[in-house]
Amino acid sequence: MSKQQSKWVEMLKAARKTALVQDGKRKIHFTLADGTELCEEYDVKTNDLLVRKWRRKSTLGASKPWEVEIGEPDVTAHMAALTLGSQHLMESNTNPICVRLDTRRAFQWRIRNLPYPLKTYEITVDSDEKNIVVRTTNKKYFKKINIPDMERRELKLDSEDMNIAHANNTLIIQYQKPKCILDDQVLLLAEFKKLKTGKDGDMECNQS
Amino acid sequence: MAATTTVNKVQEVREVTRLERIGAHSHVRGLGLNDDLEPRQVSQGMVGQAPARRAAGVILEMIKEGKIAGRGVLIAGQPGTGKTAIAMGMSQAMSRDAPFQAMAGSEIFSLEMSKTEALTQAFRKSIGVRIKEETEMIEGEVVEVSVERPATGTGAKIGKLTLKTTDMETIFDLGQKMIEQITKEKIQAGDIITIDKATGKISKLGRSFTRARDYDATDAQTRFVQCPEGELQKRKEVVHTVTLHEIDVINSRTQGFLALFSGDTGEIKSEVREQINSKVSEWREEGKAEIIPGVLFIDEVHMLDIECFSFLNRLLESDMAPVVVMATNRGITKIRGTNYSSPHGIPIDLLDRLLIIATKPYSEKETKQILQIRCEEEDVEMEEQALAVLTRIGMETSLRYAIQLITAASLVCRKRKGVEVSVEDIKKVYSLFIDESRSTTFLHEYQEEFMFSELAAAGDATSMET
Repeated sequence: MSKQQSKWVEMLKAARKTALVQDGKRKIHFTLADGTELCEEYDVKTNDLLVRKWRRKSTLGASKPWEVEIGEPDVTAHMAALTLGSQHLMESNTNPICVRLDTRRAFQWRIRNLPYPLKTYEITVDSDEKNIVVRTTNKKYFKKINIPDMERRELKLDSEDMNIAHANNTLIIQYQKPKCILDDQVLLLAEFKKLKTGKDGDMECNQS
Repeated sequence: MAATTTVNKVQEVREVTRLERIGAHSHVRGLGLNDDLEPRQVSQGMVGQAPARRAAGVILEMIKEGKIAGRGVLIAGQPGTGKTAIAMGMSQAMSRDAPFQAMAGSEIFSLEMSKTEALTQAFRKSIGVRIKEETEMIEGEVVEVSVERPATGTGAKIGKLTLKTTDMETIFDLGQKMIEQITKEKIQAGDIITIDKATGKISKLGRSFTRARDYDATDAQTRFVQCPEGELQKRKEVVHTVTLHEIDVINSRTQGFLALFSGDTGEIKSEVREQINSKVSEWREEGKAEIIPGVLFIDEVHMLDIECFSFLNRLLESDMAPVVVMATNRGITKIRGTNYSSPHGIPIDLLDRLLIIATKPYSEKETKQILQIRCEEEDVEMEEQALAVLTRIGMETSLRYAIQLITAASLVCRKRKGVEVSVEDIKKVYSLFIDESRSTTFLHEYQEEFMFSELAAAGDATSMET
């Protein structure tokens, strides 16, 4: 297993990395070979992955805005547009929002602003076994959730590993992480701990 | 609510009566050739100049077939013989995707940019790259649109748009521009629309089948479309055309906070350009992109100097060069920046690479037809006799002067509450505004009474020449 590393682990190991510990989080910035930027944040104490976001280049070479894969999306731009009034259109903040917040053993999604009772939702695994499909019987919400981690490993989804809950207008979907992904996590974590981390805050400035 | 509708109505009326500005060549809609490239005497706003138009048509056909990239065409002729009109006609007749970049020779003399940089940019602006790009689209059926003014009466309007697919529904907040677009496109409940997320452009696909019975009578052009399925937001591959210069600019922006300190106008590094050239040819080999050579039109090309001409020689040889169309009204004259004379003020070595199209002065009949077309374009009605007088003026002075008199005469006519411009009106403006030759004779007569006249008389001939 350790001999044959996954492509994902290899890619991250090869990337140019900068690490920083700030507010109890280990923040790591990766620059991949094709110019794509990746940002990850881990809790220093629990080693949970809190944020993973991407900045990809468009075909013509312009950099696109950050795409959040895991963690709360950055809402500053959205809020500014809501208060100041924007030129374009944006989703109203009463709409359901899907956020991925992983735990150590499971992938987890929280879909907020969904007031309907639990029996409204039909959550299945797509026929091609790559996506989780969330449907509502009242036709108000529909989403295909794909798990990039599983796709990178070329693993198929199994509806046995999935469970759902609903409380406080929030639908929570969990999917058990398979063993090989847990192994990768341990491997990467060991790698990241070896990184030289810069300290945030006032720099020590030794005279002479 | 009633108040808002009246406000909307007033705006609409204002839009309809908006005055359109008319350009010098806005009547030109093409080269006026038939399918065999034979020029029609009067067509698409073009009159006469049959051989020149035919030649331009042949070149256009070669451009369309992609055979002539990297070659030059020179349109030469006296002032006011339709050189720019032919170039405009070529641009109108080209396919919409192919870029047409027009510039004047004197445009490149800027203090902010070197001459060669300006020329290179103009070249790269006239080469298009057709490429596939992934964009995020929102596609759905409109459930509800509502636009409200704030209670205070002033400030930005607030809009909400509810879209649905067969599986879901989402509410969007609308910004100012989107509200304008929605009112302009007359989007209403039951329409199926797509919105490009990056640009915010809305396009209407049709009406939903479920709404087919809303009205008893529908427009023949109304299309009925199935309501989309699945998620509202979709990724779609869209083919669009960008110019090489646009790709240059995207890739030469300084990254990060350094962007704050560097202006956007500066020169683009040659390394960036080389990188992009190799990237584009890579795409082309992989079949991802297609190169569309366009046309670069340089008016008043004699204003370029010898450095530009030699640089043009080099640019024309590169493998990604557009078709360069130049126009000049000079005969044998000095090349700018040297003491050598050359035909059209262009060095012989560059002239050698060009195909030359000559334009000839217009005949009386053609002048009359052009004046007639301009009258139509400017919405001026003119008596037959007045047109004859104006044609006479046009033949004796210049076509441009006669065209300028049209607007002036129509104003005089309107002042006296006439409907048609008469001979009297023409006579009046002819006496009010003098043409170039009358101005010259006037100056010759009263030279002494003008300022600095004794200086010019005393000054030697060399100062006159500069």
